[in-house]
Parts: sequence; C-alpha cells; structure tokens
Amino acid sequence: MERPARRRVPRRLRTPYAPALALALVAGGFAAWAGQDWYDAAHDDRAAYAVQRDRALAAGEQAVQNLNTLDHRDLDRGLDLWEASTTGELREQLTAGRDAFAGQVKEAETVSTARVLSGAVTELDDRAGRARVLVALRVTVRAADGTRTDKDSRMLGELTRTDGRWKLSALGQAPVGGAPAG
Amino acid sequence: MSTTRHHINRQRLRQARAARPRVVEVRPGTRRAAAPRGPEATAERASGPARPRARRPWGLVALCGLTVLLGAFAGWAHAEAESLRAEPARSNTALTDVARTSEVKGQVAEAVDRLFSYDHADPAAFDRAAKDLLTGKAVAQHRDLFTDVRERADARKAVITTAVTETAVERIDGDRARVLVYADQSSVATAGGKAEAEQDDGVYAAAMLAVDAVHRDGRWLVTALDTFGRT
Repeated sequence: MERPARRRVPRRLRTPYAPALALALVAGGFAAWAGQDWYDAAHDDRAAYAVQRDRALAAGEQAVQNLNTLDHRDLDRGLDLWEASTTGELREQLTAGRDAFAGQVKEAETVSTARVLSGAVTELDDRAGRARVLVALRVTVRAADGTRTDKDSRMLGELTRTDGRWKLSALGQAPVGGAPAG
Repeated sequence: MSTTRHHINRQRLRQARAARPRVVEVRPGTRRAAAPRGPEATAERASGPARPRARRPWGLVALCGLTVLLGAFAGWAHAEAESLRAEPARSNTALTDVARTSEVKGQVAEAVDRLFSYDHADPAAFDRAAKDLLTGKAVAQHRDLFTDVRERADARKAVITTAVTETAVERIDGDRARVLVYADQSSVATAGGKAEAEQDDGVYAAAMLAVDAVHRDGRWLVTALDTFGRT
C-alpha cells in the first residue's frame, strides 16, 4: 500500500550534488598533494646519491673480499671471479699476471679466505661514476701443512661504474709509517 | 504464546515487505550504478515505465566515482612516498650531508689521535682526553685497552703517538655515527734497555678501528671502540 506512493517521490531533486562535489574537490586536493609528495620523494637527489653510495660500498666490499679469496684447488673459478669484480687497469694487471700467479698459488697450495670487518665510502662522484672506499679486512690463509694465519688488512679501493655496475679499478693497502696516504 | 508468535511473524513479514522496496529505491541514489539483479529485480524493472531508472543521476555517480578514484590515488601515492622515505639508504646521511660528514670525520680523527697517544711525562693529558671525549661503554673499553700499554710506557718512559691516516664515515643516523679509522702508531722509549728501544723506535704499527660516536652538546663523543677483536 505504501510502496507505489513512495516510488513516485522524485528522488532526483534530493540528490546531494553539492556535498558530492565538495567531497570530490577535497579528494582532488589530497590526490594532488600526495602526488606531489610522491614525486618529490622519488626525485630526491640526495636519496639517489645515497643509493649510489650504498651500491658502491656493497660492490666494493664484495670485490675486495673476492680478490682476497682464492683456493688452490679451484683456481679458475676464483680467478674468474677476480676478473669479474674488477675493471680498467686493475683488471688488465690481473689478467696479465694470471698464469704466473696461478702457478705460484698452485705450488704453495694455499687457501685464502677473507672476511670484511667493516667498510665505508670516503668519496663518491655520482656523475663520473667514481668512488673510493676503505675496507677493513681479515684474511685467513691456510697453508699446505694446515697451519692457519690471520692477517688484518687496511684496504683502500677505487671503484668505477661500468654499465651501471660498480667494479674495483684500483686496490691497495693503506701505507704505514707516517707517509701521507694517497 | 501463540498470539506472541503470530505477532512476531506478522511483524517480520511487514519488515520484510518494507525492506524490499527500500533497497530498490535507494539504488538510484547510491554511488554504484549497478543494474538490479535477480529474478525479483527483473520483475520490478518490468513492472512499469514509472520506475525512476531513466532519471538516474549519472553526474552524481560519476562525481562519486571520481572522488573514490582520487581518494584511492592519494592514499596510494602517500604510501609510496612513505615507503621511499623509509629506505635505509635515506636514513643514513653519510656523504649526502657533506657538512656533517666532514664534521664527524674531523672530530673523530682528532679524538682518536688524542685517545691513543700517551706521553709518560704528561699522563694528565691522556686522562683529560679520556674524560672529555669518551662516554658510555667506550670509557671502560679505552681503559681496558690501555691498562697494560700505560704500565709499559711508564716503565720505559715512552711516548706513544697515534696519527690517523684515513677516515671514512660508514653511517650517520641523526645524532649517531660510525666511522672507520686507519691510524699509525709509533712509540719512542727514552729509558730502558737499549735493544728494546732500538727495536721500537721509528716502528709504526698499523691500526684500524671502528668508532661509534654520538653528537652531544655540539660535539661528537666516542661511545664505543671496535678494534675488531684485536687489541
């Protein structure tokens, strides 16, 4: 009895356009603000720089560890890894001296393993793709007779970014004895 | 008993009847313009041309849809921005904050120079350095590291000099920082066995350590010394 009467009420006139429009505008405002915020966060130069810093350090620590790890029973794999971790002059040196070095290690029958104690980036040129890292390293060498010796090394490494990847382009130990480093 | 049940039943029936049309009527006003479903709905759609389906406020529906979309985008963009900011790379301002990085480097290098140098003739300077520059567990660590060294240096009237050669900031997170330090240590004895003195003189020992520091009252204090398990 009630149903037909109710149905004929023109609901259209009661539709809340104004509040809906206001709500849409508020939502639009939020969307614009959040979008701008997101854009800023994604295009933060410092953040991009920080990401490069962490990438360079991770690559540097891994490369330094790789270059101080070698098993005489698996020389080829170890030396391939050396070459894969390096670039530029350092890679050329390693490639040139590879056979002679492999012979020495084979004869000495040593197994070297390295552990990174700590590492940090000292310089980073994001655009040029160059970085300098300090890596504190502990190298354990097991000789043919089974004796183990630990040696701590203060490594200085230079990294170059090639094809988007950071690789070691120079590696040495920090000089000892009052001489200024570098 | 029976009357009550009758009453309840009748009430339910009425409620059901009242609820049905309400569902149909609300539809044109709701945000979603979903077509009525089910056999019942089809029947009602066919019930007459008087149904207000043709007068559906599409503009309102579109407006509401837009609101939902914009709101969803805002929420999503906000979440994306937050997750970007939460990246660990960003909370570490080593190198990205150039001024702070060089400040930490400079002060930690100076602190290590002072904390690891000892002159038998001026032990007060050493104690003063420890008092000024150390805090927290670094106090005990420094004391443990130097108890023996100090005794030997006093006996031999030695001067131990430490010079930092390289520093690199691993991490700066607000008021806390960690710095990797390379230093050279030398000791010169002015008394004791000649052989011993000759052995030691001019010999540099390579040292490396990681220093945790906290920024307090405008300067960086050492909170922990990590010698990587070596003394």
